[in-house]
Amino acid sequence: MDPKELEIIMETLEEESILKEKIRDAASDMEKSIRVMMATLTGIHSTRRDQLDVLLNSTEQARESCKKPLATIAQIVPKHQYWRWKDLYARHIQNLVFIIVLSDYLRSGKLSSIQDISDCLGLNPEWHNEVHIQTEDYLQGIISVINELSRFAINSVTLGNFEEPFKIQRFASDVFAGFSMLSLKNDALRRRFDSLKYDLKRIEEVVYDLRVRNLGPAGQSQGQSQE
Amino acid sequence: MGFGSRDEIVSVFDSFREELDANNDRRERIIKLSREITILSKRTIFLLHRIATSDNKQDTPDAATDKERNTQSESDDSLVTAERKLQEIRMKPLKQLALDIPSQSVYWQHEKSITPGIQEYIEAVSYMHFIKTGQLIQYEEMKKWLSDDSGVLLIPLPFDEFLLGISDLTGELMRFAITSIARGSGRAKAEDVCSFVRKCKADFERFTPYVRELSKKQQTTKQSMQKIEEANYAVKLRLAEFQSSPDLLDDIAKRSITLPQRRPMDENNNGDIETD
Repeated sequence: MDPKELEIIMETLEEESILKEKIRDAASDMEKSIRVMMATLTGIHSTRRDQLDVLLNSTEQARESCKKPLATIAQIVPKHQYWRWKDLYARHIQNLVFIIVLSDYLRSGKLSSIQDISDCLGLNPEWHNEVHIQTEDYLQGIISVINELSRFAINSVTLGNFEEPFKIQRFASDVFAGFSMLSLKNDALRRRFDSLKYDLKRIEEVVYDLRVRNLGPAGQSQGQSQE
Repeated sequence: MGFGSRDEIVSVFDSFREELDANNDRRERIIKLSREITILSKRTIFLLHRIATSDNKQDTPDAATDKERNTQSESDDSLVTAERKLQEIRMKPLKQLALDIPSQSVYWQHEKSITPGIQEYIEAVSYMHFIKTGQLIQYEEMKKWLSDDSGVLLIPLPFDEFLLGISDLTGELMRFAITSIARGSGRAKAEDVCSFVRKCKADFERFTPYVRELSKKQQTTKQSMQKIEEANYAVKLRLAEFQSSPDLLDDIAKRSITLPQRRPMDENNNGDIETD
């Protein structure tokens, strides 16, 4: 091989190797904050509804600290190479989606959009070709949220909150309806979609248990006859 | 902020559906074309094998050059055919593939589907280049084979891709060399090939930490190279002990490759290669 060519190739490969390391470093910076937030959020299962907001707000700082690593990644990834490097930190993105969607739902009962999450993480739309929240990562995060909520439904009842499961049931079935519209191939998303059905079933069982005992929210049975 | 009603949620998932479907459709088109490129490239490689072996009727140094001069025109015709076939790949399926890769972003999105066809194509092109020039094709030259007639690059060529495709070539060359020797001809040509591959392998060694599958391919190349080295060893020994005619030398080399185990030379061996 021509020595000059060897040199050029070598240089480029070395640069890319360094780049990979830097992205990994940024991802691991996020990892610590993400762990902290995930740990905090496990507390929702044992927190009374009126104290939930305080718990959720306590994750604010950790969430803020994720902005910088993401901005770093956006700066160092060469133009248009989002897809080349995304796998190095895709898991972290999915976790962040989970954290934000869950928190937002618990606060407002709504499903946050990709735009909402991007804003929350300080992701500049101009960075799109270098870093963005990819649809599949967003969907994966949502499925994790529903999974968490099915557990939360059960624990809410235990904590004496009989309204929550009904809200969760409506939310989960809306999300499920959305997912059902996708023609999923035989991949990771498809497998997790199947888990969604089980979560929905669990939630419906909780709702049934409450209805049957007339423990649902007063007057909010939405026109459905009680057993 | 956020979606509050079922309608809103369903509506956004509708857009996801479109997006995912479009991605899947594109991926399938790319896979199909990549496969086509693979098949056509492989056929060209077989053709190039035939071209390369057709020079090896006789193998003594003098006879080889005379023969080569005589067969030059025949080989050229076939080389012309091979080049034409490769151009056809470039003008048709490759160009079509490029239509589904409108940007660098999309390239990286579908890189795993694109790569198999492109690597096979690189192998074919660099093989032809080697037969023509005895040299390894350069990166810039390779890029021309991935460009259209006006020089616009149709499909990006990352260095990794280039190296892996070339490494496939060296693996292929070694297999070809072994086959020639095992058939009882082509020892001199195999020697050329061997030294070329040895140089390439040495050059590539420094890249192995950076390019993922490269070390595996290097391993394959190394194993093939060892077989040829052992054949050359057997021949050299025979030459040193006796003056043998070229045909016999080819036969020795051939046996050393087809013998199931290599036997160490013992004292009592008077030079006759024992058969099984």
